[in-house]
Amino acid sequence: MNRREFLECAALLVSGTVIQAPAFALNEEQQQYLATADDYASRPANLLNEAQRRIVAAVAEAIIPRTDTPGAIDAGVPDFIELMVADWFNEQERAIFMAGLEDLSARIPAEFGKPYDELDSAGQVAVLERMEAAAEDSPWYQPGNVRRAFISDAPFICQLKELTIWGFFTSETGMKQVLRYNPMPMKFNGEYARAPGDTTWAPFSFYR
Amino acid sequence: MKTEHKYDFDAIVVGSGITGGWAAKELTEKGLKVLVLERGKDLQHGSGYLGEHAPGYKQPFHGKPDRALEERDYPVQRKVYAFSTANRHFWNNDRENPYATEEGKPFDWFRSGVVGGRSLLWGRQTYRFSPEDFKANATDGHGIPWPVGYDDVAPWYSRVEKFIGVNGRKEGLAQLPDGEFQKPMPWFAIEKTIQQRLRKSAPDITLTNARTAILTEDLPGRAACHYCGPCENGCSTGSYFSSQSSTLPAARATGKMTLKPDSVVERLQYDEGTGRISAIHVIDAQTNARRAYRARVYFLCASTVGSTQLLLNSSSAAFPNGLANRSGVLGRYLMDHFLGVGAVGMFSEHSDSYFYGNRPTGLYVPRFRNVGKQDDDTDFIRGYGFQTMINSSNWMGQLNAKGFGGALKSQLSAIPPTWTFYMGGFGECLPRKRNHLYLSKSKKDRFGIPQVAFDFEWSDNERAMGKDIQQEGLRILEAAGAAFTMPIGDAQTLSVPGAGIHEMGTARMGDDPGESVLNRYNQAHDVPNLFVTDGSFMTSASCVNPSLTYMAFTARACDYAVQQIGEGVI
Repeated sequence: MNRREFLECAALLVSGTVIQAPAFALNEEQQQYLATADDYASRPANLLNEAQRRIVAAVAEAIIPRTDTPGAIDAGVPDFIELMVADWFNEQERAIFMAGLEDLSARIPAEFGKPYDELDSAGQVAVLERMEAAAEDSPWYQPGNVRRAFISDAPFICQLKELTIWGFFTSETGMKQVLRYNPMPMKFNGEYARAPGDTTWAPFSFYR
Repeated sequence: MKTEHKYDFDAIVVGSGITGGWAAKELTEKGLKVLVLERGKDLQHGSGYLGEHAPGYKQPFHGKPDRALEERDYPVQRKVYAFSTANRHFWNNDRENPYATEEGKPFDWFRSGVVGGRSLLWGRQTYRFSPEDFKANATDGHGIPWPVGYDDVAPWYSRVEKFIGVNGRKEGLAQLPDGEFQKPMPWFAIEKTIQQRLRKSAPDITLTNARTAILTEDLPGRAACHYCGPCENGCSTGSYFSSQSSTLPAARATGKMTLKPDSVVERLQYDEGTGRISAIHVIDAQTNARRAYRARVYFLCASTVGSTQLLLNSSSAAFPNGLANRSGVLGRYLMDHFLGVGAVGMFSEHSDSYFYGNRPTGLYVPRFRNVGKQDDDTDFIRGYGFQTMINSSNWMGQLNAKGFGGALKSQLSAIPPTWTFYMGGFGECLPRKRNHLYLSKSKKDRFGIPQVAFDFEWSDNERAMGKDIQQEGLRILEAAGAAFTMPIGDAQTLSVPGAGIHEMGTARMGDDPGESVLNRYNQAHDVPNLFVTDGSFMTSASCVNPSLTYMAFTARACDYAVQQIGEGVI
């Protein structure tokens, strides 16, 4: 435990929403019982070409890989990312994303002689680590800066991480096979024993 | 009771929320034929809770806000903690139903837009006012004296608590009277440790269960809480109290209630000949069709702001400044609890303990400042309480962690070793004439009704109390053995007025008709068949959450109204 961890926890409890610029694609009001709706990420996405999709999938898997539990690709995160970039991002955010993807598409083959998704996993992570080091001054990395609106000018690497982490831990696979899922606990026990390796409960409400 | 042919109904209730539901239940159970008018859309208990139990992957954008839609339609409502994709359809559409504020004087008006009103969305905190609360104005000279005391209201508190179901723990405190409680919800291990330490190191502090209108024992038609967590998405098992789960079904069961959604009340018509309200004028929100209804008695339960707006918009030759406003105080003495200040501490104990189930409430620190007498070391009058919350973080708290791969995945999935204990102050606001709402002279809504406008500022008393809240919060956390502590908020700015969602006053009750709108039974001094029982009757604010008091006064006013009908007075 340190000051930074404390700030992270404390920030979760202090509400505050930053006004965002309007985006596009207005949805009409929900008329559907959501718990029985189709999964969001099952909707068709048609923003990216196949080469771009391979890169996005490889990046997502490098961020959250399959280990003894499923990883980002198992959880459908690449589809989630493409949908979010297409339907949820505003123009500024989408421009940052597409420019970042263009950069990866061109720079990696020039440097390594093959596309990002064909690098070995250590090589993939090394590329991302360099991007993270270059972006570390972004407010996105500020300790505790998590309960906030999406940061519209956040660098590409931050977009990738936020969408991957969010998409993974809110996916059915992430909620049920990596975290613990229990929508109907039926009781409350505040002194429930914790065993080594236990993961957190999958939450049912989300920071905005 | 046989409805006289000159009336459409015996009673008309405006609003279907926390007090409208109570008026509907009490009046129908006493045999009256009742019309409930709700300006919001229809919503069915259970099947209308479209987001209940919806996991992230079923929600559009996996629960991230639909920013464009919210910017357009919910620029105010989206600011409140309870607003989410899963319950967006419960809230007022700010584009369709706007209000006005003055430059540099923000006011957040959080409203519902459906049958059930804010009883679907409230924080469910349920506390009695104390005898001292009812005496506060008379003691320190702010506002006017309450025309009733604790003993007048206590039986009605009991009646309401038993029906709605309140879980809590009896503490025997004069400043927070005990009520009729179901068994309290269990505690986190760290909460027990904090309590034990405070008993030794801060014996002036009581840490008790937040008294909450959530069932821990079944009631007829309602099941004990299943601990899913986000009550505000609606609860089809009726485990938390709402008018939808409790009072409206009781009224419906009598066969004597007619509930009309999409019914925007434009004005009340006053008849100088009889000195009574003779009709209520209603606009259909879907078709804009207008019609009037007549009844023997009218209950305004449209929320503080809604009811006062309606009275202000019901002027006549007899009442040129707003209906029942001979005193001139209608719209004045607006209050809200301030929040946004407190303290937070981190604890490293109990790192082997976790939780099972999501307890949808916290603990409470009852008022301990200026209790029974003015403390020597306070520079403010009245007091505050703390609502507390335990947080054990999860992946959302580390969304911006550095790193990649298996290590990052493990870190984001793991249970953090520490517990965070948050103490949020809820401070009493003084009744001040300058804080008011009024009808905009230039802005109208889509029905041609003048928009309501706000002019509200906190005073030095609230700011001084806010500073004390931070200092005392830190003292309590240190006494509890926190490893780190930090004050929360800014005691100079406090919360945005209205953000406490406890707006009250503006049609206050009192014994002097020259200084108040309502008498001690929530009846307009000058209009015997008009009762106002939402938060607008409040003469002072206390520091405790007010909904229980609104409900108790509503039940009491219904009893009195039916008695007056029986005696031929109304």
